Amino acid sequence: MELLNNLTEAVKKGKRKDAEALVKQAVEQKLEAGTILDSLIAAMDDIGRRFKANEIFVPEVLIAARAMKTAMEILEPVLVDAGIKPEYKVVIGTVRGDLHDIGKNLVAMMLKGANFEVIDLGTDVTPEKFVEAARDNGANIICMSALLTTTMPAMKETVDCVKSSGLKTLTMIGGAPVTQEYADEIGASGYGADAATAVEVARSLVSA
Amino acid sequence: MTGREIALKAVRNEETPRPAWVPYVGVHGASLIGRKAGEFLKSSDLIVAGMKKAKELYRPDGLPVVFDLQLEAEVLGCQLHWAEDGPPAVVTHPLEGKSDWNANDLPEFDLTKGRIPLVMEAVRKAKAEIGDEVALYGLLCGPFTLALHMLGNDIFLEMFDEEEKVEQLALKCAEVGKAMAAAYMENGCDVIAVVDPMVSQISPEHFAQFVTPAMNEIYDFIQEKGGLSCCFVCGDVTRNLEVMSQTRCDNISVDEQIDMAKFRAIAQAHGKSCGGNLALTVVLLMGTEADAKLNAIRCLDACGGKGFILSPGCDLPYATPPANIAAAGLMALDEYQLDVARKTCQASQADSFDDIVLPDYANESAVILDVITLDSETCAPCQYMKGAADNAAKACGAEVVVREHKITKREGVGHMVKLGVANLPTICIDGEPKFNSIIPDLPTLVKAIEAKAADKAAMARR
Repeated sequence: MELLNNLTEAVKKGKRKDAEALVKQAVEQKLEAGTILDSLIAAMDDIGRRFKANEIFVPEVLIAARAMKTAMEILEPVLVDAGIKPEYKVVIGTVRGDLHDIGKNLVAMMLKGANFEVIDLGTDVTPEKFVEAARDNGANIICMSALLTTTMPAMKETVDCVKSSGLKTLTMIGGAPVTQEYADEIGASGYGADAATAVEVARSLVSA
Repeated sequence: MTGREIALKAVRNEETPRPAWVPYVGVHGASLIGRKAGEFLKSSDLIVAGMKKAKELYRPDGLPVVFDLQLEAEVLGCQLHWAEDGPPAVVTHPLEGKSDWNANDLPEFDLTKGRIPLVMEAVRKAKAEIGDEVALYGLLCGPFTLALHMLGNDIFLEMFDEEEKVEQLALKCAEVGKAMAAAYMENGCDVIAVVDPMVSQISPEHFAQFVTPAMNEIYDFIQEKGGLSCCFVCGDVTRNLEVMSQTRCDNISVDEQIDMAKFRAIAQAHGKSCGGNLALTVVLLMGTEADAKLNAIRCLDACGGKGFILSPGCDLPYATPPANIAAAGLMALDEYQLDVARKTCQASQADSFDDIVLPDYANESAVILDVITLDSETCAPCQYMKGAADNAAKACGAEVVVREHKITKREGVGHMVKLGVANLPTICIDGEPKFNSIIPDLPTLVKAIEAKAADKAAMARR
């Protein structure tokens, strides 16, 4: 449908005013809320694919995510009325001692764009706080980010803390110095090399 | 030719007798002298002590004085969070969240404020103490990263919403860079590195729009003052290599994610020298000496030659094992050790040497001297090491067997790997590497053999 295609394109290009107008039109035309949502998710999936392929960069992702957020503010009440809510929950934060949050924010935005409910704990999050938030919210995944090599050990502590808590919550890690090998070494459930891959990994983990 | 001269020639993209070696010792210098990062970065004496220790351990051609991209931001009003084992992080951004922000709202940049005076004092002391032999790098925060320190993550959206204001902010940050470059050069730095890691997050189009004009302001200024400049980006900057090479810097240095052969082709097409890109975490921090050597060989094979500086991809982590850094540097400093590493480290990667079985040394009646050499017939130090073993075997009273293992043959490489020998030539006594590179005098070696023979005799009596 042209209206929804235009909405997808507006989000992809980060045109928030266009996205706002188009989603209002879609709602007024009584299009199914889930279908409108799908058109927004399609936009962010495309953004993720192109980010992963190095075709676009952080500013382009953020501008698209802002357009998505603007559209979602209008759509969310409609989704609630229709009984549609995110199927999966993620708790996210940078690990203890790490204050660098650009990567974490990107992953959070991309996960929201993929219709995950995201509980963002911010920066410098202790293992206990991750576990507490996961328990309180019934999260499916804990996502941890680290930019510094010196804070990477806090990822292992968090993974260990989750395991010893008895929670079945999955764990994902990412950040500049982090690798798949490190994820394997510390027993994390998954590793996202970039924000787009993080979404793919999160989807595969919850559907496994 | 001094190491300093080699480094400066390499930055100028001139031929050098060997690749230059510049380990980016930042807060790692603090760990070398047993200090925490916070106190280290607040004391000119400790900074210089760390540099001197790094010079002693790594034999560098060049060293940064400090690696702290928060110096300028601190003076401009950002608050810092200090860590024990890393550089500080910027936690507040003076222009963030203000819809009517303007670059002119920032305070005047003042070289007498913050930690800049102590850093310049460190430059002067370092110049006096090691500056004749080691090229001093003055690192300043690049204009885009400094602009991000000022605006926070808002900058990424403002690049679309307020293009002209972001352009002005980047140029304002370039003025700060020029002031820092002038101070560094006046106090004795040879190379000014404009370190701009956040450009790894933007497109070539945005780089050309926001970064190129600001960076060129700094590079032109450095050139006018007779200095040398380096464009240094930590992070994956693959897509921006071309546009970085089009700036007017002398050298480009890159991080571990970059394909060095492709990078060299692009940089050399624009007449730039190249630097990089030892892997920091997996190799230097967590790997072995052999891993570090192999990683250095990868860099040298892909990018070595005219105008190349072997260096880590970014600031060395605090707790990087010094032996790994020294092992990597040796590949640039010593062609002989490079040849040895090519034969041994590369072979050991491809071959587990399962068929090479070491003797059961403890139960052999003789003391066994394994002499690991390149080849005692063609390599003078190897000849003397083998000769020392032969002479000691004759001179001492114990039963001794001398076995030479030449690493020109697979059997020799296998023994080197299995005995854990890192350098050539080496004498192992009953399987333990004892004399490494330095040839022992006769009494010393005889004494060591006789001590081992006495141990074995004592064990046999039990």
